[in-house]
Amino acid sequence: MTHDDESLDLLLNALLDGELDAKGALEVERQIAQDPALAERYVRMAALRKALAAHIGSEAAPEGLRRRIAALAEPLERPARQKRDWRGYGSAIAATALLTLGLQHFVEVATAPDAAVEAIVFAHMRGQISGQPTDVASTDRHTVKPWLAGKLPVATIVVDLASEGFPLVGGRIDIIEGLAAPTLVYKRRAHLISVTELGKTSRDFGKEPRMQTLDGYPVVAWSMEGRGLVAVSDLAPAELLSFAELFRTAAGKELPGAAKQP
Amino acid sequence: MTNESGKEPGEAARRRFREEALPHLDDAYSLARWLAGNRTDAEDIVQDACLRALQASPERRVENPRAWLLTVVRNAAYNWFAKNRPAALVLAGGAEDVETRAGATAPSAPAPDAALIEAADRRAVNEAIEALPLPFKETLIMREANGLSYREISEATGVPIGTVMSRLARARAMLIEKLGASS
Repeated sequence: MTHDDESLDLLLNALLDGELDAKGALEVERQIAQDPALAERYVRMAALRKALAAHIGSEAAPEGLRRRIAALAEPLERPARQKRDWRGYGSAIAATALLTLGLQHFVEVATAPDAAVEAIVFAHMRGQISGQPTDVASTDRHTVKPWLAGKLPVATIVVDLASEGFPLVGGRIDIIEGLAAPTLVYKRRAHLISVTELGKTSRDFGKEPRMQTLDGYPVVAWSMEGRGLVAVSDLAPAELLSFAELFRTAAGKELPGAAKQP
Repeated sequence: MTNESGKEPGEAARRRFREEALPHLDDAYSLARWLAGNRTDAEDIVQDACLRALQASPERRVENPRAWLLTVVRNAAYNWFAKNRPAALVLAGGAEDVETRAGATAPSAPAPDAALIEAADRRAVNEAIEALPLPFKETLIMREANGLSYREISEATGVPIGTVMSRLARARAMLIEKLGASS
């Protein structure tokens, strides 16, 4: 490997991007430690990364665009048996849906925040403030899952979303309403996401991930296979919602009760 | 690749799009917005990209749906450029040949100040990125806004990893120089 300035520059960038293996990273870090000018260059790159992270995060797609795109891919037709009913009751169903949506929204606003959800948000905040968001730090689900399994009666869902842009950081155990609840920590750029799993006795959040805001944090909760899942982060709400969708899809493939892919 | 008008994507293609592409719409829109430089054109590009994605054969397993969708968006953006801003592509082609190594600051120039870089405001960051030549801009955005790995960027842009690395290094060097220079 040549050590001229240009390839060194590429290596500094690769170190910043976490693209070097342990051996390569060690070598570059040693060079940085020995060379103040190099260290200064690396500090500037890290400063740039911070400025970019603050200003160019993923931007939520406009609602109109999202609706148009979703419409492009809507299911084609309902089965014929239902079609007649659908035509007959279309407007009634639409009205009911509207009413339900309105009511749902009303209920959400009117009810006091769920104590468990509140505790989960506080646990996430505590992890961020302490700088210790995980009890077991590992990007490998095959490390995190057994660690949790050794401390809890029920196996936790742990999914790998690294290729979706949400690498695993590790896991911890929170105490929610007096019970131990496994929490996974994922990362998105400079943001952490906590996903807490509540056991069988927990409340039913409904099958579709739903968004609420607590203390300024977007929170998405849903239920699957008798478990309640609550994700919280300081990400933009839309981004947290996509994370929840991805988590749910991946978890659906992992759970024993999941329908096998045809 | 053309859209065969009148050929409706089937149920399998639709379901796959809903499950694999739709969750990444924000990522797709962000990339398009940076490439196009404004929201209106970004919406056109994303819509075009999604139509293409829907036409893709549903039998093929995609290893990484997010990287795949971003690749489709990137290609749709280039098609859109070819139609609407051919000049942008002509300029992009010559970016790599620029001999002056941006960022290799001459000894006489003062070194950019890290604190200044970190404190750059949104407008300054936007302007600095907008000024990057297209190949550097797309590489930087895929890395910093979409969080793609070098390999994923290499596949999306169709250039070797070495080229991705040097584009990224040069994009950052240009930004450091711009944002770190006390104006």
